[in-house]
Amino acid sequence: MLFFSYFKELVGKEVTVELKNDLAIRGTLHSVDQYLNIKLENTRVVDQDKYPHMLSVRNCFIRGSVVRYVQLPPDGVDIDILHDATRREARGA
Amino acid sequence: MSGAGLEDVFLSTSLASYLDKKLLVLLRDGRKLLGILRSFDQFANAVLEGACERVIVGDLYCDIPLGLYVIRGENVVLIGELDLEKEELPARMISVSAAEIKRAQKAERDATDLKGSMRKRMEFLDLD
Repeated sequence: MLFFSYFKELVGKEVTVELKNDLAIRGTLHSVDQYLNIKLENTRVVDQDKYPHMLSVRNCFIRGSVVRYVQLPPDGVDIDILHDATRREARGA
Repeated sequence: MSGAGLEDVFLSTSLASYLDKKLLVLLRDGRKLLGILRSFDQFANAVLEGACERVIVGDLYCDIPLGLYVIRGENVVLIGELDLEKEELPARMISVSAAEIKRAQKAERDATDLKGSMRKRMEFLDLD
């Protein structure tokens, strides 16, 4: 639940999602769910030339199970709050 | 999703907004399927109507019609909404027949295999 709540805070921010198949997509985080499935809006593919089929895709749904990384803006994170929440979760769960 | 507040409905990563739209579905095996989403569930299983597979080899491509497809969610990588006002593919790409794209796929596979076998034969050199 921690990361689900964390991503909910990041809705509206620009992120880059790197998938396990090496495809990297930049976009605005529209929504996230309990499986950490991600919906991105206004998407642009990093290295577009390698993925011509993605040319006209502007919004997409990404299955949580295929995400390798979610790259965040450095100011998108309040590390202290995240740190506290993690300690609380570790204590409680 | 019991007990979902109004906020949760807005945030929900549901495929409902993609229903009856023409979509691009990327599969784990690298296939690209296009079609109209008619149904889905919580596992991202999906029903695509009028599905076709877009095979791309270099600058060549071919759309192979498949009909009505049920996709098991575990194979889904990404579901993308196609912007109908934009070109689906770069202008440089050329549409070819299914037979020709299969030939191109085989040629690409053979080239990769050759590269792989040459690398294996060179391994003893320890160039790294």
